Amino acid sequence: MTLPRVKMAGNRPWPPRITDHSKHFWDALAEGRLITTKGKTSGKLTFPPKPFCPYDWGQEVEWVGLSGKGRLYSQTVIHAVPTAFQHEAPIRNGIVDLDEGLRVAARILGEPALDAPVECVVLDYDDGPLFGFRAIL
Amino acid sequence: MSLRKVAVIGGAATPNGKLQTPEGQPIQTVEHEVLAPLVIQSMAVAGLPKESVDAISLALCRPYTLQKYFATFMANYMRMPLKGGIMEILGNGMTGGLAFDQAVTAVASGQADVALALGVNFESAASSADHMMSSMRAVGDIDYHSIFGFSPIAWYAMDMVRYMHDFGVSRAELAGIAVKDRRHAALNPIAQFKKPLSLEDVLAARPIVEPLGLFEVPPRGDGACCLVVCSEDVAKEAGRPYALVRGRGFFHEGAHQINEVPNDMTAFIAAQVASAQAYAAAGIRASDLDLAELYAPCTIVQALVSEAMGLVPRGHAGRAATEGETALGGRLPICTSGGCLSRGHPSYITGLLTIFELWEQLTHRAGERQVVGAALGAGSCELGNYNAALIHVLEAKS
Repeated sequence: MTLPRVKMAGNRPWPPRITDHSKHFWDALAEGRLITTKGKTSGKLTFPPKPFCPYDWGQEVEWVGLSGKGRLYSQTVIHAVPTAFQHEAPIRNGIVDLDEGLRVAARILGEPALDAPVECVVLDYDDGPLFGFRAIL
Repeated sequence: MSLRKVAVIGGAATPNGKLQTPEGQPIQTVEHEVLAPLVIQSMAVAGLPKESVDAISLALCRPYTLQKYFATFMANYMRMPLKGGIMEILGNGMTGGLAFDQAVTAVASGQADVALALGVNFESAASSADHMMSSMRAVGDIDYHSIFGFSPIAWYAMDMVRYMHDFGVSRAELAGIAVKDRRHAALNPIAQFKKPLSLEDVLAARPIVEPLGLFEVPPRGDGACCLVVCSEDVAKEAGRPYALVRGRGFFHEGAHQINEVPNDMTAFIAAQVASAQAYAAAGIRASDLDLAELYAPCTIVQALVSEAMGLVPRGHAGRAATEGETALGGRLPICTSGGCLSRGHPSYITGLLTIFELWEQLTHRAGERQVVGAALGAGSCELGNYNAALIHVLEAKS
């Protein structure tokens, strides 16, 4: 299953740094998959993905796919934004609780109500992807 | 090692507002010329000689302060040899509170008999949008949060949206906190904003981070403060009224802005745990407090931390402010200084201003905003989205 895509104007205002580890996450997102890491000994998911497990500090982790489905926990519309984001203002950002039991912060598209089911979408900027969520219609 | 009892015996603060001069202006205002008179004044109030200062804990200056290693610069500027210690402290919103906490620790441990907790926060010459390019990196994971453009107070706005949803509370109810705080500030000589503010003014202001408008979020500004902390023995010998540190609590929940495991974000767990610790150490209950001075940069934050500390029931903080329960003259006045919203929020020293207000109230120097018979007060500070809280309980002694 691949995530829906939405075309965004220009480059990402504040792009993430890519490491040998996080490259897996961002490359997968570019291909339409939301993934994260799971500790092999703890069996626990973490987000953002990490090269170790924060629960038991186990050194072995595996990449697992996430459904990208969840519910909107909260959101806001930011009018006073940092300089790099001025061309995108006002910005709607929020917090989503994924079905897998992970809480993430992200861009929100449309105006979903709190607790509404939402799905992850790839935000296609010219220089690479970010992730957002929108209501499941 | 047994710990000694610690007193706050002196304090001084400059009125909050715009002190910093823009770069290139021919006549500049510089940090040390603002801070030094406060050191002299606070030591005079304490009735202690200059030579008695053993340690300095300085709230780190903002990156806009050109003079680096400002603490040792001040020790030289004011000719203060120190046998106890000197350091600069950073804890984001907790910076001033940690500077105070460190001075208390230095005295309690016996490293110092007298310690200064002080700081100067200059930032107003930087535009808000430019300042946020730095502050967004302190209040989020820069690779997984800041990429979306979260401003520091956007997290509090999301607290508010969730809280209104969960407790059926309106924005107008919470806005009563801003109106109450402005009334308090009108009576505070160091307050940044004193002009009367109505509920209609608050609700009609332009949106900053929805649903928060201009008067529900902190103003930006500069400020400076110096507190004199000493052993209770030194305080008794000095013969001046003082505030005794009765209890202290701290907790960090091990999360940065949001917990990756879904939880009740508006419960402010850190403030719950830290306040319980502080009350237990002081041997009191929340209901014994006569006032509370809280680190609360937005109306919603004051509501949530008041509720987490057990000062008002959950979901009731807005109504308690509107109905006067947490206003001067009410059951438990909160933010008698005017708080972050109206006294001002030079954030790296806000934690010092919190203790300054408690000291003024507990030594009965608060003038028109004096809480009659104030004997016990609590102060809080935090970092992130109250992911950590540091809480002190102080008691009046004369």
